[in-house]
Amino acid sequence: MDFNFTDEQNMLRESARGFCEKMSPMDFVLEMEKDEKGYTPELWNGMAELGWMGLIIPEEYGGIGLGFLDLIVLLEEMGRMCVPGPYFSTVVCGALAIMNAGNEDQKTEYLPKIAGGELVFSLALTEPCMTRYDPACISVSANKNGDDYVINGTKLFVNDAHAADFIICVARTGGVIDAKEGITLFIVDAKAPGITITPLKTLGGDKQAEVVFENVKVPATQVLGEVGAAWPVIEKVFQYAAVGKCAEMAGGAMRVLELALDYCHQRVQFGKPIGMFQAVQHLCANMAINLNGSKFITYKTSWMLDEGTPCMAQVAATKAWVSQAYKKFVILGHQVFAGTGFMVEHEMPMYSRRARAAELAFGDINYHCAVMAKEMDLS
Amino acid sequence: MNFGYTPEEEQFRKRLKEFLDKEMTEEIARQNWEDLGVGSEAREFSKKLYENGFLGLPWPKEYGGQEMSPTYDFILIDELGKRWGAHVPLDVGYTMVGHTILRRGSEEQKKEFIPRIVRGEIEFGLGYTEPNAGSDLASMMMKAEEKEDYFLINGQKTFNTESHYADYHWLAARTESNPDKPKYKGISLFIVDQRAPGIDIRPMITMSDERTNEVYYDDVKVPKSRLVGEKNKGFYYIMEAIDSERNHVFAPARLWPIVDDLVAYVKETSYQGKSLAEDPFVQNKIAWMAIELEVAQMLADNARWLELNELPITMEPEITKVYLSELEQRMVDDAMQILGLYGQLEENSKYTACRGRIEWYYRHSFMPTIGAGTSEIGRNVIAQRGLGLPRG
Repeated sequence: MDFNFTDEQNMLRESARGFCEKMSPMDFVLEMEKDEKGYTPELWNGMAELGWMGLIIPEEYGGIGLGFLDLIVLLEEMGRMCVPGPYFSTVVCGALAIMNAGNEDQKTEYLPKIAGGELVFSLALTEPCMTRYDPACISVSANKNGDDYVINGTKLFVNDAHAADFIICVARTGGVIDAKEGITLFIVDAKAPGITITPLKTLGGDKQAEVVFENVKVPATQVLGEVGAAWPVIEKVFQYAAVGKCAEMAGGAMRVLELALDYCHQRVQFGKPIGMFQAVQHLCANMAINLNGSKFITYKTSWMLDEGTPCMAQVAATKAWVSQAYKKFVILGHQVFAGTGFMVEHEMPMYSRRARAAELAFGDINYHCAVMAKEMDLS
Repeated sequence: MNFGYTPEEEQFRKRLKEFLDKEMTEEIARQNWEDLGVGSEAREFSKKLYENGFLGLPWPKEYGGQEMSPTYDFILIDELGKRWGAHVPLDVGYTMVGHTILRRGSEEQKKEFIPRIVRGEIEFGLGYTEPNAGSDLASMMMKAEEKEDYFLINGQKTFNTESHYADYHWLAARTESNPDKPKYKGISLFIVDQRAPGIDIRPMITMSDERTNEVYYDDVKVPKSRLVGEKNKGFYYIMEAIDSERNHVFAPARLWPIVDDLVAYVKETSYQGKSLAEDPFVQNKIAWMAIELEVAQMLADNARWLELNELPITMEPEITKVYLSELEQRMVDDAMQILGLYGQLEENSKYTACRGRIEWYYRHSFMPTIGAGTSEIGRNVIAQRGLGLPRG
């Protein structure tokens, strides 16, 4: 057993920390929430220059070829500073989907460009029908018409669609609405005629959208993986994405605890720094428990994913627990900062708003709890 | 990072599982778990663990061990725990006292005690708490006066859980009361024959049917050779041992039997013609228990890993302790909600569900958040020692 990161991973963290702190201070994050695009070319290009877009892309496709745990280090640091932009959508969802399901042509076509920061991807999975989270609940249809498919229907809560060059659309080519069979992935040009992208105003201030497909023609060559058999790919990408979100949450928790401890030393009431009061110390102790639990289970699950160990239950446990812990975590943080943390320009609201977005993304607590129950043979 | 075990460790676990499935009876588990007293069955079992190469592996060769990684002890504790085993039968000696003797004891003490601890033959009663020294342990009053060739000890201990079946008393007593010095600088540790003349052990029965004890000392003479380490350094020795003790005592695996029993119960129980296992409320609660236990195991693994590699420890074992003890309460609450009316039945009722273990566990669950330091003291440690917040 070894809880140490490698020297290379520590170096990656250090470099990422410096970059994120410099490029993504809180006033910038707040500004980007209001900005239509939500990130700047300087930020995106800077990340590309550091090789982040190609971090997990194999060297033969222009990437660096590192593992998922390396990516986790980066996601923690990005989560720590709430770094805006379509990195998660492009790399965790887009690149991983293509790496796992793409044919040689597709890999050669897209992966080097993703690694170079030239392309933005978005994953269109969730739909209005998912009033309870279920990645198999797909009603958007894709019907074969000659050499093309024609996609119709509405995707909802699609991250970063507004900025995307390509949308990976999860559509139904067969089967009933919640069947795992009959689902197909399509790489769709985001500017294709018939696509309407409407931004949603969300609690987290992140960029989610409604994406309506109206008779959108997609060449059959744009099918990613096998027709009607996309479920195992979705499941895999979904696992990486769920755990990746946990890393972002753990990173956010690290930051909130750092800020709270600073405040505990500085803020004086009753003639003492508030960190001297046991009531306040216990809030911080609870944060430390939640933080350690979040980090360690995320690391272990990422390691299992890297090792190729089947870990359906472990992923479910991780996403459910970390989501729950992070919700509690931000409440504790607010309690330490009290009134000052309630102000819109303070860091605290950013983390507490995003905690809910992260909880809901890639399977909420109830969804993963149900997966866990199933893995325990309860049904 | 690596979260796996070595092939040798996996092999050990496999062999151990086979042994325990065959040898560890319900009776042994009970003697072990409920602290009513380790009787002949559990003592016999303890020796068998050693004879079959499961006990004593990490200890020095010169005292009967094999100098292997302490991971083997953790695997042993985990596998016992998964079978309602709680800990090795003579656990105060094995997981707590022995390590301090090894670190601080005289060569004579090591030769006398360690081989018997390693072989699973002797047990110690932990003699720390007093009526006026609980969370504030340094306030202990039990007096040990230095005479020519012995210490004369007088006073009272309380909540000394193993004393009625232990062979020795691991006693902390005051050897100096100088009002100008901090209280913790006047405490020493002793190994006392638990049956020595002048010792009176009186039972205290807990709400979960366990036995603990009051231990009275009336002019008990303890030879100087039984002083552990230096005089007045006892409190340091207690504190330096506490992280490793937590790592060995608070094993998340101990709570898995609750989940296993519940899963079996809901699968064989129906309500309105449907299996309880199909009820989303039930599924959610049981899944959540398993999820929390996975996290608890990671907290424990991290603290163990720090210990195994002799890395600095501040709050990690304390985090495991606070989380796991409070988790026990949440799990028992959820379990009782799942069992409904049946959850209140004691073990021997005709209608008992889950062998009455949940009803017993409910009564037990008030202890872990108090014993070995309350959750409140635990959070103080996490905040002050771990996070660097100032003492009030």
